[in-house]
Amino acid sequence: MKNNIIRLIYIVLAPFIILSLYLGYLHLFQGSFLATHPKNPRVIELEKLVNRGKILDREGLILAESVDTNGLTIRRYPYGETFAHVVGYVSDKRIKTGLEASYNDVLLGLTKKPSLKNYLAKLQGKPNEGFNLVTTLDSELQVLGQQLLGGKRGAIVALRPQTNEVLALVSAPSFDPNQLKANWASLNADEAQKPLLNRATQGLYPPGSILKIMTGAGALEKDPELKEIFYCPGYIQVRNYKLNDTAVHGKIDFERAMAVSCNTTFATLGLSLGSEEFYNTALKVGFLKSLDFDLGVNKSFIPAASELPVEDLAQSAIGQGKILATPLHMALLASVIANNGKMIEPSLITQVQTNAREVIEEIKPKEGQQVFSEATVGRIRNAMVKVVTEGTGKNAQIKGVEVAGKTGTAENPHGDPHSWFVGFAPAQNPQIVVAILVENGGQGGKEAAVMAKAIIERALKD
Amino acid sequence: MGSLRRKERQLIFYVSLLLMVGLGILKYLFPDLEVKMLSQGLIIMAVFLGLHMFLNILKYKCDLYLLPMMAALSGIGLVFLYRLEPAYAERQFWWIIVGAVSFIIAILTTKDYRKLGQFKYIYILVGLLALIVTVVFGTRVGGSTNWITIGQFRFQPAEVVKLFLVLFLASYLVDKKELLAKPKLEHLGPLLVMWGMSVLFLVSQKDLGTALLFFGTFLAMLYAATGKLTYITIGSLMFSGGAAVAYFLFGHVKVRFDIWLNPWADIDGKGYQIAQSLFAIGSGGIFGSGLGFGKSSIIPAVHTDFIFATVLEELGFIGGIGVISLYLLLIYRGFKIALRAKNDFGVMLATGLTCLLAIQTFIILGGVTKLIPLTGITLPFMSYGGSSLLANFILIGLLCSISHREEEEYEK
Repeated sequence: MKNNIIRLIYIVLAPFIILSLYLGYLHLFQGSFLATHPKNPRVIELEKLVNRGKILDREGLILAESVDTNGLTIRRYPYGETFAHVVGYVSDKRIKTGLEASYNDVLLGLTKKPSLKNYLAKLQGKPNEGFNLVTTLDSELQVLGQQLLGGKRGAIVALRPQTNEVLALVSAPSFDPNQLKANWASLNADEAQKPLLNRATQGLYPPGSILKIMTGAGALEKDPELKEIFYCPGYIQVRNYKLNDTAVHGKIDFERAMAVSCNTTFATLGLSLGSEEFYNTALKVGFLKSLDFDLGVNKSFIPAASELPVEDLAQSAIGQGKILATPLHMALLASVIANNGKMIEPSLITQVQTNAREVIEEIKPKEGQQVFSEATVGRIRNAMVKVVTEGTGKNAQIKGVEVAGKTGTAENPHGDPHSWFVGFAPAQNPQIVVAILVENGGQGGKEAAVMAKAIIERALKD
Repeated sequence: MGSLRRKERQLIFYVSLLLMVGLGILKYLFPDLEVKMLSQGLIIMAVFLGLHMFLNILKYKCDLYLLPMMAALSGIGLVFLYRLEPAYAERQFWWIIVGAVSFIIAILTTKDYRKLGQFKYIYILVGLLALIVTVVFGTRVGGSTNWITIGQFRFQPAEVVKLFLVLFLASYLVDKKELLAKPKLEHLGPLLVMWGMSVLFLVSQKDLGTALLFFGTFLAMLYAATGKLTYITIGSLMFSGGAAVAYFLFGHVKVRFDIWLNPWADIDGKGYQIAQSLFAIGSGGIFGSGLGFGKSSIIPAVHTDFIFATVLEELGFIGGIGVISLYLLLIYRGFKIALRAKNDFGVMLATGLTCLLAIQTFIILGGVTKLIPLTGITLPFMSYGGSSLLANFILIGLLCSISHREEEEYEK
């Protein structure tokens, strides 16, 4: 019997060993998640005791800071509505959005490593200092973007290629986060304008013709030697559906088709790709995928390959039908061409600093994957240059700079078509990538291309 | 005074130091706490010292570490109760004294514990009777109806019944162990019936923690007596089956299981208790936020089931492992007594009592940390609870008695 008991001892002991290991696991791997969880009442209390960190643009200009007025600490946003969506706000109803939300624990200094220095400060009763966030944002570009959109509804995204740092993320209409309490009810009730919505990351729109970049790339990946001359009679009959074009283009090659945005050509290309490969190409450029970004981004949508009969496939190939994408995603699509075929996930933060400008953390831009071959991308790039020099994007021309772009006029059931423009410049050595969307803005070549020119010009001035 | 039990005296001295430092810190941090807290602390230490002297006078040869560990765990529990709910702490103070008295009574009435082995059927009858009483007269406290209320006084018979269960099993198994080596239904029968009824009663009372405890202890003792792994396997299968049935049949079981898997789905509702417990644990870190600096008082039942969450938050991972170690040491000493005993009944009884302590401790520690689904059961010596304290003091008393008697065998 004694032997049984010895074995029993092991059986009884084992769960306690497991418990101890589990506690270790909890602390090591879930410790910070639990300690900084928004529903953890300690975090809520701590917030009242901590000097919340600042949010800065890439030059160090202050986008958000806590100030003491008459003993009360309030959060101030010097740029008002310009950065409202990306920087976000902290309301006293404990709602947080934007970077204020995603980096809450950094701003509260909760990511501080336990050290003797910090412990001594705690004992001395020194108020806890949060960390400052240095973003990739360029205030000049953001302000310009805000001005360009004016009273219209839309979004502007500007990236620096090679790293895909986000230089500007504008959504309009916007709101003044300094007056949130006063305007809360009316802001929330505004169903027509939806000022609280971050259209750049959350708005899903049919991409229209700018998706021809993807369709074209997919076709070139399949047939790199594509020399076909297409014939466009002004429409294409796809089984029971007649897809109309904007004009009769006659005989055109790939580059010209891109320049004039020939629906017939790209519908043809989409059909020859087939629903399977079209779908896979879309997945490759990030459709249906969650983006690892500092702000929440809605997933761009494409129906499953099995749900793309030829009629729908033809429409999808030209960015209509059920396809939906966010402006940020379309900027990424353009960046793939700018970055020689590499898809690099965008980033908003470069550094975390203490108030004394000491760098706590350097955040490196993300690696990226090769999505299209350099040959494919080269041809798309040339085609995109033609869009601006001789095609639908003439309004984006800049003297002395080779601009590559694509316009889009997205039909939608709610009124005038949305106006899109994506592009980058200088075409051979890009310094800036933009995506512009103007809701119900009419033809892409008009509204959006004009705004793109202004943004690119300013960006290249430095 | 005997050098026989000197080590015990030394350890109690260290425990006293721990207790007084803890109470001192609390008084400094919370000036509103009454000064009598400190005198109560001193009295408790005097009580344990008194128990030590009692054992000395009797020239008891029982294990030297049982009393100090019991004192340490009760003391730490008391400190945390003063920190969380001073009103309950005071009651716990009185219950510790009652516990100490029952310890003395247990020692005195079991001069020869072997005589206990003769009353097996009485134990099971008394046990079942007590459980039936709660079915008929029980009042609801928290999730279970397993309580008896007499005036202002609330008592959980199940806590004492568990001792009867172990006494019954020990005596029965010792008599029948050869027969049970072959799993024959006629010998297993009465066992299964007795055990089955107790578990069913408990389940009907929604006291799932105690049901699990009974079940586990039963299997452990069966294995100790027969060495047959098949019993444990079949038992575990039966348990899983029963648990699955309970999941689909009983809403509250389903809830417990669901929030164990994912408390985050309902952080403000059903998952609140576990989520807040985890927040407390995570916020404490390795070294803890310091005694008195945590914010675990918002956890429901923090002074009973969830006291360990406060320990983890304020004393950190280190403190948590420390407390677990204390329990492990106690369990180790209990098994050592079982292994050293020369009398079969002593072996079985000591094993059973130790398993009772071990399994109960694991059930609540695991539940509170989300390792296993939460069941309402007390953490021995630390949770607030008169019946629990009483039962566990008696448990240690019995272990002491066995230990003394068996050490005497070695000197013959």
